[in-house]
Amino acid sequence: MPKHIIIDTDPGIDDSLAILLALASPELVIDGIISVHGNVSTEQTTKNALSILELAKASHVPVYKGCDLPLVKESLLSPETHGDSGLGYAQLPEPVTQPKAGHGSDYIIEQIMSRPGEITLVALGPLTNIAIALRKEPRIVKNVKEVFVMGGAIQHTGNTTALAEFNTFVDPHAAHIVFHSGMPMILTPLDVTYQCIFMKDDLDRLLKIDSPITKYISDSTRFYMEFHDEYQSIEGCVINDPMTMALTFMPEICDYQDLVVDVDISTGVGLGNTFADFYNYGKKPKNMKVAMGVRPRMFMELFLKRMENLCSKIR
Amino acid sequence: MPTRIILDTDPGADDALAILLMLASPEIQLEALTTVQGNVNLEKTTRNALALLEFLNASHIPVAKGCSTPLIKPPHGEQGEEVHGKTGLGQAILPEPRSKVVEPHAVDYLIERFLAEPGELTLFAIGPLTNVALAIRKEPKFAQAVKELVIMGGAVRSGGNITPLAEFNIHEDPHAAHVVFNSGIPITLIPLDVTYKCLLTAKDVERLNGIDSPIAKFVRDVTADYMEFYLKYEGFDGCALHDPLTVAAVIAPELLSIEKHYVNVDISGGVSTGKTYADFMKVSKKPANMKVALGVKGREFVDLFVERLESFCRSRL
Repeated sequence: MPKHIIIDTDPGIDDSLAILLALASPELVIDGIISVHGNVSTEQTTKNALSILELAKASHVPVYKGCDLPLVKESLLSPETHGDSGLGYAQLPEPVTQPKAGHGSDYIIEQIMSRPGEITLVALGPLTNIAIALRKEPRIVKNVKEVFVMGGAIQHTGNTTALAEFNTFVDPHAAHIVFHSGMPMILTPLDVTYQCIFMKDDLDRLLKIDSPITKYISDSTRFYMEFHDEYQSIEGCVINDPMTMALTFMPEICDYQDLVVDVDISTGVGLGNTFADFYNYGKKPKNMKVAMGVRPRMFMELFLKRMENLCSKIR
Repeated sequence: MPTRIILDTDPGADDALAILLMLASPEIQLEALTTVQGNVNLEKTTRNALALLEFLNASHIPVAKGCSTPLIKPPHGEQGEEVHGKTGLGQAILPEPRSKVVEPHAVDYLIERFLAEPGELTLFAIGPLTNVALAIRKEPKFAQAVKELVIMGGAVRSGGNITPLAEFNIHEDPHAAHVVFNSGIPITLIPLDVTYKCLLTAKDVERLNGIDSPIAKFVRDVTADYMEFYLKYEGFDGCALHDPLTVAAVIAPELLSIEKHYVNVDISGGVSTGKTYADFMKVSKKPANMKVALGVKGREFVDLFVERLESFCRSRL
């Protein structure tokens, strides 16, 4: 039985790779994609989601537009990481398909409430849509199967401030709502994603297949690699979101700890910092499973093989 | 042309009095209520809204049910029952309502109504601002569609009534208030600075009860515990007409002294969380984002309130 997932995403280069990985994986069925602000504006992330689906000949997957601002904080986008279009140097044609009518947060509510226990949410961007869905319909907590979240930096340094990871920094208040909601949650923080680097050699392996998708991966990640080189002195690029996607069907890639995790919303220097109470000083119940250890090669092999399969099919 | 109003509310003793005053005022056409948790929990505020409208023969006014918790903070729990009584309506006992809420969530109902007639409807918000904040975030066109928003909330120069610095509605959902204050909606704020100058006394209630009317009796029952609370905790003879005073913005603006300021709310998580502050000296160089009532002819407003209710009671005899 494949897992039914809804992807909440702000594509974004690594987001787009996560969507491709999901499409390439028979273990998953994408019921829908919801766009959110983050890497670039919601206008653009919506368009990018549609374009990626068209590129992979999967435009039957419905796309719903979500929030274009964080809940409380001012907007923060990241064109220096993902390029002005959000997809690096890739230039995909304007999508022909349109987003469906209705707000992304309502789509989450409808789907979860009409199919209790069946829907897995995969959140790859700021958590605004899911936070709004939780406040509008608190019963989704008991009816969602599980929520995979790419976000946070537990013992790792931040990638947006010294302490905070991008997704949780952009909408810390939404993260606070989601973290404390009681939904079964699996977090993929920078602690594990920064150990999985997509290298030039990996790209060259994919480029042996002549497909519009390999061309896309090459054009988008070239920008992403330049960013990592310039800002973080990393050779290659960190593909956070595909890693989160992989964990939905191949959990053995990571080792997990059950932890009490909170996010700082106090507007000091630690704003958006996710921190675990390892010694449970606060005596609170564990609120999520956190991926804290990873087998990087296992993930990268999976990713490359799945991309090779998908690219061979789409020429 | 009466001012067409949608009221976001958490009834609540003084909310009930505001609804009464609106229905008693020909300058106002009350078109819908949306409910939110606040003074008491959402089930109770929604039940009270429906029951109150039925009691006042106004159940043609739709009620939409809203948010059951603040955006980020946990709800304050049953603390509000000390002020507003177990049901939220003091000692008043209204029959179980037969009418039901309309289908959409209050957030969607607000979006639907305001976008259907951009610039036509005025929003009054007299509870925590959770529903309004979510409407703003969910529908980017919402803020522009609201003609005006009148808020009961905040304590600008005055002390707080839930912490030493913060007023209840704002403190209950400071993050929502932050969203609303910075949304660009034209706001009029009615803070504690003015509401505490409008005290309804036992004498006023007795004057109203010179009319043998179930509505006058309701006012007595709904304010009895409320007055006791004020006497016990704040040493006042009478109860503050917080929510009803918002109505003055439409029916008697001449009673209010209004200033334009940049007003924001502290969401930093420190001792002043939920504190509303005005940039009187313009140190932040930010443009004014609202009109704030900082003075009021209190006794005149209370007299007006009683007069309006008297005519309302008489018209319903």
